[in-house]
Amino acid sequence: MSRKTTVEEQISNVTDPRDFVKTVIPELQDTDTLLRCHICKDFLKTPVLTPCGHTFCSLCIREYLNREQKCPLCLAELRESMLRSEFLVNEIAASYTHVRAKLLEFLSLEREREAQSAGNSSCMVIEDGHQRNSPNQNGEAGKAGDGDDDDDEIQIIATRENRLSKRSGDALVFTGHKKMRKESPGTGISSLLAKSKSPVPQQPKLADCPICGKAFPLDVLQRTHLDECLTTESFHKSENISSSPVGPKPEFNSPPKQSSTRNSIETPVSTHFNRYSESTSNNSVTRLAKLNFSSTSLQQLKQKLSSLKLPVTGSRQQMINRYSHYEMLWNSNYIDSIDPVDESILRRRLASWEASHNASDGQQKPGGISKFLTKNPMQDFKTDRFDRKGWARAHQRAFRRLRKEAKASLKRSKPVRNIENTENSQTETSSHINHSTTIEQEMVPSNQLGSRNGHITASSQSSSGA
Amino acid sequence: MSLKRITKELNDLGRDPPTSCSAGPVGDDLYHWQASIMGPPDSPYAGGVFFLSIHFPTDYPFKPPKISFTTKIYHPNINANGNICLDILKDQWSPALTISKVLLSICSLLTDANPDDPLVPEIAHIYKTDRSKYEATAKEWTKKYAV
Repeated sequence: MSRKTTVEEQISNVTDPRDFVKTVIPELQDTDTLLRCHICKDFLKTPVLTPCGHTFCSLCIREYLNREQKCPLCLAELRESMLRSEFLVNEIAASYTHVRAKLLEFLSLEREREAQSAGNSSCMVIEDGHQRNSPNQNGEAGKAGDGDDDDDEIQIIATRENRLSKRSGDALVFTGHKKMRKESPGTGISSLLAKSKSPVPQQPKLADCPICGKAFPLDVLQRTHLDECLTTESFHKSENISSSPVGPKPEFNSPPKQSSTRNSIETPVSTHFNRYSESTSNNSVTRLAKLNFSSTSLQQLKQKLSSLKLPVTGSRQQMINRYSHYEMLWNSNYIDSIDPVDESILRRRLASWEASHNASDGQQKPGGISKFLTKNPMQDFKTDRFDRKGWARAHQRAFRRLRKEAKASLKRSKPVRNIENTENSQTETSSHINHSTTIEQEMVPSNQLGSRNGHITASSQSSSGA
Repeated sequence: MSLKRITKELNDLGRDPPTSCSAGPVGDDLYHWQASIMGPPDSPYAGGVFFLSIHFPTDYPFKPPKISFTTKIYHPNINANGNICLDILKDQWSPALTISKVLLSICSLLTDANPDDPLVPEIAHIYKTDRSKYEATAKEWTKKYAV
């Protein structure tokens, strides 16, 4: 069971372009897809461009080109020497992944808010139309509408404020709007203008000091504070000034909090931008050549490995694999990467790759039942000795579930369709369901496709009930 | 790498299952899946449910997954052991392909067999010369083994 939960955990950690379907901007799933590598299906890491115009992670495509010399997408001929690094895409992908989680959270929250405010749409209509007793009033407003007109007004404001308490800014706007309307009903634009003017009277009072960033009354700032600040602050902080004009301006009225948040947003963007604009192709370290292993003696191979400070242990094949993988890591790092890491880090990566690779070579996977399933019975899988009936019996349950899933997906695509044979099989499976509802229930927690199975079992149970 | 990619595909199948197919791991081994395909309605396999076994190599997606039918099926490109003769499972494999796409290809192979590149020459011969006999046998096998 513990391993099962890790599988579920792994699935929950997977990011998917369809995460954005549930947000206010579902179109972002396109962007999300475009920034992914077609080989690992993850976000592009050290992307490289092929002559045929396709982009992949450097390591992914290099590993593939060690086997097949063609583009995975268009199957055009491709060699490693044709790859060119794409620093811009690298920085775009990096800056996108940096904000992705925040973006997703914000956009799905926004969607919830929209759904909430959609519940108040009848109320909105009343306001927009400036009609008090319109026919599509909701219950609360309707009840209040029987009484005094002023009471009605207050009632609406109150409900709005309660529901949109999260959108405090909007609630304020609405109440402001309402109050204006009481004085002069029907002058929407003027009321809006008045609202936007309302903060103006405060404006000349405070201004940001361009040096220390604190807000001061304007005349104080101009007369005394600026001089003080300039003399006390040392000039190494003048970088901050250069971004904003020195002279205090009335529209630089933003409170200190806002300016600090603006800075914190700008910093990561500018680092990606700076890294891109300062990037140059790296020529200081040379490409590691591929070896022709068939003509390389064991001695030469060992020499080559030790010259790269790599271990010379293991069989010849292991050493060949080690060199090949290191060559890939090296070239990806020194030729494609915008920000190459040190050789020692490469060696560490090689070691961890070797550890996992040799483990998976020696034995498929640890674990009782999976070993039993993958090792012995599967050896005969493609021959006549394979025990097909035993296999079918052993996995009866899984097969039944798969059958149901497939049927459900068929129903979904073609809602009503009668084929001679399916009727028989459907009645058969529905009797199955009647027999095996208990099995079903114990299966649900063990399934790994989470919500989808939940849906299907629910639908099949309802169909059996009907 | 392979495990991450397989997990991704599993998540993908869960969110957006392909038409008339389904797939998922057997027990807790993510490298070993089973799949089912509904016989396409415009083929002699209509009404049948065919099961397949999928094995991911450790260097997936650089190597193709091993897929074979566990349900017996009468088809020129599928032999008695369930082996499938499909180019994308062999030399035309690309790491950009996914299990979902492969299953859909197998579905279309059931509708449109490829008798010019057969795995079972006898069936291919019947398919080419006596189409109605082929369809009758395929229907019979479907009823016998896949319903």
